[in-house]
Amino acid sequence: MSIVLSCDKLNKKYGPTYALRDLDMQLEDNVIYGLLGRNGAGKTTLLNIIAGGILADDGSIEIRGKKLGKGELPEDFCFVRENNKHFGGARVIEALQLAANFHSHWDWTFAHKLLQTFGLDPNQKIKQLSRGTESLVGIIIGLASRAALTLFDEPVLGLDVLMREKFYKELLEDYANHPRTILLSTHLIDEIVPVAERVYIMDQGSLLLHEEIHQLRMAAYLIRGNSDAVASFTEGKRVLHTESYGHGKLAAIYEMLNDRDRQQARQLDITIEHLTLQKFFSYLIEGGH
Amino acid sequence: MLSGEAMNVTFDDKQPIFQQVAHIIEDDILNGTYREDEQILSVAQFSQLFQINPATVVKGIGLLVNEGILYKKRGLGMYVSTDAKQKIQNQRRDRFYKELLSNLLCEADKLELTTEDIINMIKQLRKE
Repeated sequence: MSIVLSCDKLNKKYGPTYALRDLDMQLEDNVIYGLLGRNGAGKTTLLNIIAGGILADDGSIEIRGKKLGKGELPEDFCFVRENNKHFGGARVIEALQLAANFHSHWDWTFAHKLLQTFGLDPNQKIKQLSRGTESLVGIIIGLASRAALTLFDEPVLGLDVLMREKFYKELLEDYANHPRTILLSTHLIDEIVPVAERVYIMDQGSLLLHEEIHQLRMAAYLIRGNSDAVASFTEGKRVLHTESYGHGKLAAIYEMLNDRDRQQARQLDITIEHLTLQKFFSYLIEGGH
Repeated sequence: MLSGEAMNVTFDDKQPIFQQVAHIIEDDILNGTYREDEQILSVAQFSQLFQINPATVVKGIGLLVNEGILYKKRGLGMYVSTDAKQKIQNQRRDRFYKELLSNLLCEADKLELTTEDIINMIKQLRKE
């Protein structure tokens, strides 16, 4: 596996607060990544720095081993912003034409197919589009550009469930035929599970976790039972969060469980359930500080 | 093959998705959707149909290749092995005994049901 993008110790301060703090991130070839974090976690700042829109205070970015200069754009790269304000008063088709000029692998046939799939009128002005439809313009650009490295910042913002499903479907189909590196930041955490292969979780400008999704899901559990039993079971394991009720206790843990653990759980009369990624995420963030 | 009920599959949180992918393919071999020496869906088709990452599909298929349930024809795709159905049934019977039945007995103990109670319940269900 070769590394497409490597961020090394990126720092960015706005006044006294760190938007990014010693952030390291590496993206490999042909992987779909999810980037998760609360509002203000630094996701957009990070993406903007990679896209050369803002400068980091220090740290460096390498594209395929080559260091990016100040304000230099990565090659064969597409960044889909959260909003399309930068298109001003342009029509949808004009925005696509503009994007087509910048991306050498742009596929017009695919772009037109996507316009139809999502039911977009190419002659409408972007300014007049609803929030969801505006997101669709970005999605079409991100997909049809077929860039080797594509970053989507909140691509499904304002989209209803049907449109989101259509997006995931188009993304996966095109990715299967044209593998590339794609990173999606999102708040709809559980929706990213089948789509992405790996996730990065950010909080307060730092990276909390980087893991393969299936690994993560296989180590994220909710333990429930008698307080003493739960305490003895979780001893020596990574506990993210606990909650007591009467003589009972809930514990969210992040730990691979083996057969011996399960046997112990049966003996202690403890139930073990898998946590959804979203639940895991909130326990991780709340317990992280 | 590409239409209908397959679209309704939802992936739960109990198992890694790639294991669920393997399970879906196994089910389709058991119910005759794929017969011996027939080709299964391509990774791209599978990924699009079930809306999951292709790498996950590859992993699930890999599991079945290791178990000898699927085999690869170079440049053509993945095919169902001759004794696939038998293999799957043997594996699942084993799991039925070790996991499902032991979980069932665990719950039965909590409810203070005797072995005879359980057998009678099973017979009753079979009749219905």
